[in-house]
Amino acid sequence: MEDCISTSALLTTDGVPLKQSLKKAERKNKLRAFLLVFPLLLFIIVTFVMPIGDMLFRSVDDSQINGVFPNTFNEYKKWDKEKDVLPPEEVYKALFEELAYGEKIQIGRALTRMNYSKSGWKSLIKTTSRQIKKAVKKDELPNNYKEFLISANEKWADPTFWYAMGQMVNNTTPIYYWNALDRTYDQDQNVVMQDEKRRIYIKTWIKTLKISVYVTIFCLILGFPVAHLLANLPLRYSNLLMIFVLLPFWTSLLVRTTAWIVMLQQNGVINGILVWLGILSDDGRLQLVYNETGTLIAMTQILLPFMILPLYSVMRVIPKSHMRAAQNLGAKPATAFWRVYLPQTIPGMSAGGLLVFVLAIGYFITPELVGGKDGKLIGHWIAYHLKTTLNWGLCAALGAILLGVMLIFYWLYNKIVGIDNIKLG
Amino acid sequence: MSKFLKAFLFVSLVFAPFAASAVTVASWGGAYTESQQKAYADTYSDPGSIVFENYNGGLGEVRAQVESGNVTWDLVDVLPSDAITGCDEGLFEDISSEIASMGVPGPDGESIAEDMEANGLNYHSGWDCCVPQIFWTYVVFYDPDAFPGEKPDSMADFFDVEKFPGKRGIHTWADGIIQKALVADGVAPNAVPTVFANQTGAIDRAFEVMDKIKDHVVFWSAGSQPLELVKSGEVVMAVAYNGRVGAANLAEGENFEYIWEGQVLDQEYLCLTTGSPNREAALDFMMHASSPESQAEQAKYITYGPMRASGIPIIEANEPWGPGGVDIMPHMPNTPERLKVSIVNDPQWWSDNGAEISERYSAWMGN
Amino acid sequence: MNDTSQSFVKFEKIDKSYDGEVLVVKNLNLDIAKGEFVTMLGPSGSGKTTTLMMLAGFETPTNGEIFLDTKPISKIPPYEREIGMVFQNYALFPHMTVAENLSFPLEVRKISKPDIKEKVQKALDMVELGNFGTRFPAQLSGGQQQRVALARALVFEPRLVLMDEPLGALDKNLREQMQYEIKHIHDRIGITVVYVTHDQSEALTMSNRIAVFNDGVVQQLSTPDILYEKPENSFVAKFIGENNTLNGVVREVNGSSCTVELDGGFGMVKALKINVNEVGEKTQLSIRPERVSIDNSISDSNNFSGKIEELIYLGDHIRARLDVCGNNEFIVKVPNEGSFNHKEGDELKLSWNSEDVRALDL
Repeated sequence: MEDCISTSALLTTDGVPLKQSLKKAERKNKLRAFLLVFPLLLFIIVTFVMPIGDMLFRSVDDSQINGVFPNTFNEYKKWDKEKDVLPPEEVYKALFEELAYGEKIQIGRALTRMNYSKSGWKSLIKTTSRQIKKAVKKDELPNNYKEFLISANEKWADPTFWYAMGQMVNNTTPIYYWNALDRTYDQDQNVVMQDEKRRIYIKTWIKTLKISVYVTIFCLILGFPVAHLLANLPLRYSNLLMIFVLLPFWTSLLVRTTAWIVMLQQNGVINGILVWLGILSDDGRLQLVYNETGTLIAMTQILLPFMILPLYSVMRVIPKSHMRAAQNLGAKPATAFWRVYLPQTIPGMSAGGLLVFVLAIGYFITPELVGGKDGKLIGHWIAYHLKTTLNWGLCAALGAILLGVMLIFYWLYNKIVGIDNIKLG
Repeated sequence: MSKFLKAFLFVSLVFAPFAASAVTVASWGGAYTESQQKAYADTYSDPGSIVFENYNGGLGEVRAQVESGNVTWDLVDVLPSDAITGCDEGLFEDISSEIASMGVPGPDGESIAEDMEANGLNYHSGWDCCVPQIFWTYVVFYDPDAFPGEKPDSMADFFDVEKFPGKRGIHTWADGIIQKALVADGVAPNAVPTVFANQTGAIDRAFEVMDKIKDHVVFWSAGSQPLELVKSGEVVMAVAYNGRVGAANLAEGENFEYIWEGQVLDQEYLCLTTGSPNREAALDFMMHASSPESQAEQAKYITYGPMRASGIPIIEANEPWGPGGVDIMPHMPNTPERLKVSIVNDPQWWSDNGAEISERYSAWMGN
Repeated sequence: MNDTSQSFVKFEKIDKSYDGEVLVVKNLNLDIAKGEFVTMLGPSGSGKTTTLMMLAGFETPTNGEIFLDTKPISKIPPYEREIGMVFQNYALFPHMTVAENLSFPLEVRKISKPDIKEKVQKALDMVELGNFGTRFPAQLSGGQQQRVALARALVFEPRLVLMDEPLGALDKNLREQMQYEIKHIHDRIGITVVYVTHDQSEALTMSNRIAVFNDGVVQQLSTPDILYEKPENSFVAKFIGENNTLNGVVREVNGSSCTVELDGGFGMVKALKINVNEVGEKTQLSIRPERVSIDNSISDSNNFSGKIEELIYLGDHIRARLDVCGNNEFIVKVPNEGSFNHKEGDELKLSWNSEDVRALDL
């Protein structure tokens, strides 16, 4: 009988092979299912996959400038740095021509990019361009381009500018990733540490991770009892408590910031109370804001609901009889909590922890407002390069690393806790 | 509910044509945009055609709009270094000829550029795409009650925590403070930009001066914070935007003193976005907003100075110019005698070196 | 068995109130002997679960004392009482396997690993789930979960096992099967069981004795047969089994019997005097359906007639609903001997023995 099923194809009553008939019957369902999710799929592609792809592309892309100075870069690659201190005449000539006849807007854009590799490129090229344009207008092409450029601006005789050009002569470059890790190229394109006085990114990465981990832990410590209370109070009290929990969401950033500062500053409420109680002396007032403490306090408060809500939704469905059962079976309340209640809240802790961590790692406005000298997290630098220096390559590299860090944490989490063990509600 | 809906539909239908042709100006918001609204838009021939929208500075959004071809901001209020970069990159349209031909001349026929040069400014490529707005400055201020005896009156005093003990409030970015540091080290204020541009090691020198007060600094990051810091006694002196100090003195009855020496004058421009959907109307409004009269008018509402030199005499001649019959000139940063002790920021140098210095400043601050 | 000095569990003058205004348990006195299977039966809100929770230690008596093995236990926390309990929804720990659930009580008692393993296996075998140790509760059927809960309540050899409506979540067939299983396990290991249910047939099937609860008071504590055949008040009569009632007034008292005049002038009934005292008192008469006979007269004094309202064929018997003396819910069970040939609307002659009629409170 079993042989019969496995070897000869089954037929429907009408004589069509069963598998084929089933496929036909299900095709319609599959199509319908696909059409239902298609708008979402499209939405995700447009709003998520494409931007991230664009970001990853931008983090290594250097084609714009290569389109502006193709000949210069070609000639540049022939320069033997061992033999000649400065590039050969051909490089100067190609640069002269490409500045003279290139499109002004494209050059402007290339300038912004060149300035990332060395400060000063921008004005160097701009002043030179003006001279070149004048010369071209008067139809006075120089005999020696090298001499012309150096006389236009003596920085053209400075080899460090020429060394810096080496960073951009290829269509794709890893330099932004190196920059994002406090590294740069030396004159021979070797990766070296950035000038000590400019090293900020590794420190900022560590600070950002540290603060995110601390905030997550504090949110857990503070949120757990609140969520437990919420889950076990009668409805009318828990609703009221829930409003208090959600209050930070409904308060404007500026009001919140002002409130924290009023509370935390040296002449503020908390220090005042501590001095009044005699716990602190008047000169021993604590610095609670405009530093890392302030950042931690403010971020913990604002992110607390993201911990409490998933915890609450998980705790609400843990039957009260479990704690009773554990005690009935001989476990002291602490043991019962530790072995029976706590493990059941892991999905909530995971969801809340992951949410808080992910949000914290990208936070930058609040920490900047209350963090003083410690308030610049990695998000600040992403925003800074996005808006102010327009160094979108570095921006993208920082973003890609951030994404990578998140994926590593996600992987670790999956290894340790298991991704099924996450529950948002 | 349906009544409300109908009313809403009606209103939107009636106003839709206007909304479409309105000139959208992206600006910084708050009291500053309010002053622009009153001084530029309300005095304009068609006030309803100007709509202000808030943004947080920088060229990121402008570049995104221009790159995507979906330009919604006709005009953008920017810092000078952004004016330069934006103009170089073609994010802002080169309208130098329009500015020359349409710009409202001063009482003696001064052009916009001449007026700005009279205020101590030098040409940069931002002038090709943008019209001037206001001078704002990083100024040190203090509460006189905090110093019963001798009062600080120079940058040297600000950087001397032995002579004037107490914390200082400084912002979390480099611009402004590193120039002040050189003044404290004996460089004449007017010479500071050239020292930075031409002397190697000038930046190191500034950081060495700042090292002296580093342990006595509370770093702030929002414009309202230095006022709070000084008011609450958290710091005894702070660097702030002069407009904030002026508002506290004029509107909140505070009695803060300025240290004008070493104030860092920075500029503010209104630029035309490339591909602006209302180019002609926007150009017309730009010229109105950059007239000496409009600029003087703005000083009524916020104590930033007109970037056109010919705006100042209008204020002087009509004092009390401020609200409620107060004199405004004591709060203006760019009077001739204050200009003598001021640093006029060099935006070209900042657009060259800004990124590097800002990284370096952060490293210094965090250590 | 009912000797209080020998009682294993003793409730003494227990009152319980949650809000200080309403007593949910009133003056409860109850003795349970070692090895006994006692069921607390009653409608919801009658105080039976509260009583069980006080015994388990999750509620504190407002007054009185509970003794376990002659020692007062009010001050002993639940985790030191050594009382096993099967909860209404089993309360199996979802993050632990079946074996881990069973190990839990042993682990907290610091029993050695090999002993734990052995005891767990034994307990699983007892409930016929020997191969299910590595499964998680969610992978088991309702009946299997129930057995795991039972095994867990027994695995640490408690002095006493409490069960709080343990079969409520099961379907009817499974419930009946589990009733027998629990009864057999009880018979086999001889442990004392206190069982709470609102299902009378469950109580009758399993218990040595049943305490019928209503309104926070034990109405009657007795063996199943006595509860059914000799209910002491009208609540018990109505709550246990099917019951026909007729209301009337006591007209004559004669030792252990009395004569009652039915309301509405339907005549006089001779009955046992159970819960009435004197002439003129109002009373409710209780007659079990199977004690009413039709057509033939088995009594001189209790002869009545009724009109058939409804007939239901049930195989072994026919269930007839009659209108008797103004009560149209009067049930008679006619054994299916093949001779019954009446239709709805017919008048039937009825009679019953005066020993089968109990005059109870109203």
